[in-house]
Amino acid sequence: MPGVNSPAFSTDFNSLPSNSNTSRKSTRKRWSYSRIATALALVAASTAVQAEEFKPNFSLILDGHYKSANSALSEYEKGFGLGHVELGVSAAIDDLFYGKFTGVVHEHDNKTEFETEEAFIQTLALPGGLSVRAGRFLSDIGYLNGQHTHSDSFVERPAAYRAMLGSHYYDDGVRLSYVMPTDTFWTIGTEAFGGDKMRAQGVADPKSVGVYTAFTKIGGDFNEENSWQLGLSYLRNDNGASATHHEEHDDHGHEEHGHEEESGHNHSHDAKFTGKNTYIADAVWKWAPDGNYKYQNLTLTGEYLQTTDISDTIKGNEKNEGFYLSSVFQMTPQWAVGARYGEFKGYEAHGDHFHEQKLKESEFMVSWSHSHFSTVRLQYTRQTGDGFENIKNDIVTLQYVMSLGAHDAHTF
Amino acid sequence: MRILSKLFLVSSLALPVSGQAALTVFACEPEWAALSEEIAPGATVYSATTAKQDPHHIQARPGLISKMRKADIVVCSGAELEVGWLPALQMKSANPKVQSRKQGLFFAADQVDTIGKLEKVDPTMGDVHPEGNPHLHLDPYRMEKIAQSLAERMAALDPANKDEYLANAKKFSENWEHHIKRWEKEAAPLKGKNLVTYHSNFDYFLQWLGVNVVGDLEPKPGLPPSSQHLASLLSMSKKTHIDAIVYASYQDKKGADWLSQKAGVPAMELPMSVGGSEQSKNLISLYDDLIKKLLKVTSSS
Repeated sequence: MPGVNSPAFSTDFNSLPSNSNTSRKSTRKRWSYSRIATALALVAASTAVQAEEFKPNFSLILDGHYKSANSALSEYEKGFGLGHVELGVSAAIDDLFYGKFTGVVHEHDNKTEFETEEAFIQTLALPGGLSVRAGRFLSDIGYLNGQHTHSDSFVERPAAYRAMLGSHYYDDGVRLSYVMPTDTFWTIGTEAFGGDKMRAQGVADPKSVGVYTAFTKIGGDFNEENSWQLGLSYLRNDNGASATHHEEHDDHGHEEHGHEEESGHNHSHDAKFTGKNTYIADAVWKWAPDGNYKYQNLTLTGEYLQTTDISDTIKGNEKNEGFYLSSVFQMTPQWAVGARYGEFKGYEAHGDHFHEQKLKESEFMVSWSHSHFSTVRLQYTRQTGDGFENIKNDIVTLQYVMSLGAHDAHTF
Repeated sequence: MRILSKLFLVSSLALPVSGQAALTVFACEPEWAALSEEIAPGATVYSATTAKQDPHHIQARPGLISKMRKADIVVCSGAELEVGWLPALQMKSANPKVQSRKQGLFFAADQVDTIGKLEKVDPTMGDVHPEGNPHLHLDPYRMEKIAQSLAERMAALDPANKDEYLANAKKFSENWEHHIKRWEKEAAPLKGKNLVTYHSNFDYFLQWLGVNVVGDLEPKPGLPPSSQHLASLLSMSKKTHIDAIVYASYQDKKGADWLSQKAGVPAMELPMSVGGSEQSKNLISLYDDLIKKLLKVTSSS
């Protein structure tokens, strides 16, 4: 996480005099006057700005693995492979804006792809508690989605995330969020996105701004040792309901039909199971003896995701849903163990009916971190289910995640 | 009307914080909470960490975001001690008052010179701070300067109470100087003693009192004591006389205990900050307790 070294001057938005008795005209005049004054003050301040040191943060994440078998809903194939190799640059741009760029190198079907995962600006000096983010960024819905995958405790995101959010949902858009001035942490936010990654098959006339979200998180400390956070999120996806036509579906027995072919061309980060309305509830509890996270700590996380109104053309109340529960215990400064269980059930549209698909996943991992910057992880995954390709009982993955450069933030 | 509004605007730009009742202070560590209370007794002061928590390893948790959201000033050690969590809190709390090091973000390390500055830093060196050792609250002379700077900063942010802050800093300073003389007298027997420490936590304190640090339990800053490194300290103990092994109130005692037993040298936990031991209730009793404990642990040799 970058240092926010924003320079000396911040515009005081409350500094404009308010006098309810002044006429409209004089109010307008006064406003223009104060704008000029503010602009002049900003120009004057910008010379002082140079004095504060400018130190952009550079980071490179190296992430690679060996996987013993192919598995369902996975980005990674059997054998050696690269995960999220990321290059990031971030810094405060001036006293008002912070900027971040993250580029990701992907290996997909033996092709190397470079894509921009984050390229956003965020305000630093809006009046208390308000902030705006614009550009390409990770949506703040749910618990895991807003976090970077390289700080995860398991090799891949839970099955529900992989199926419903394309592992992690990021997109081009804008966010407005507000932190309440309460003793208990409480934030609310809303986002609007293009929504290409969340577009369902067969949508004839997709909207250019297709996804809207609203989320709230509350949290706090029970005491010095125990901290918690709860979140509720809603995602409205105008292009999320699939539209399939019966006449296209003449060969019933052909499983590779339609959706599979289409999604073959899609990017691996597109969500496969979408719908008009998605709801997410999440809970986190963390514990460390004396609140000292260095030596030992425990993190319990759970999330539930549900998507309704999944098709415009097929009648029925089918909904996609999934959850996971995760527990990670850092036993010593260098060793951690974790277990995660998750389920996903979703429906793929085929002509005039749905195909049900189910996946249950149990994962166990042991990780060793030599320093803040280096982690090696061994994970065992057991999958059972129906309808997915490559459902595999036993998968062993050996992974490394290492970072060069900027120190990673200890996000909750 | 125009002139009036212009005047109003200019004054409100120059004095962004109007004369509020009291400041709300977010301190990163307990020592800065204690110092803030000395300078601004009427302030609402919150410490993000306790002396039992390693400030390198704090989580940017919701409880801290809500506290920073309401702060007028954030008082921290700086020199990258809080780099893992403070920027995340600043961003998430979206509080414009505490973003700039020239306004509501006060780093103690910006006010004084640090020791142990490094020209070149590479990651193989461990968790080192290129900006120098951040544990500077344990140098009484630096503390005096920091107290003065903090009072000036608080006065700039809250001009209505300017006189009070400056007067309190002066009072603190006079009292502190009196204690420095006492401490230097009391700690005289510590001069020339050889200590093994866990990390560079007490470097300022030990340099001040003329105590030598002959080894660290950590093989490299931030890395836990390894058996190989402990063995090398043990073999060193046969050649170099070690008076005591010390570690901070948030550090694991296993390595210290092992070496203590094998080398026959006493080991002791020292309060890292206010609240790190039963006796350290404020800055003065923290220094008192540190000296008392060091005298006790080195007296046997």
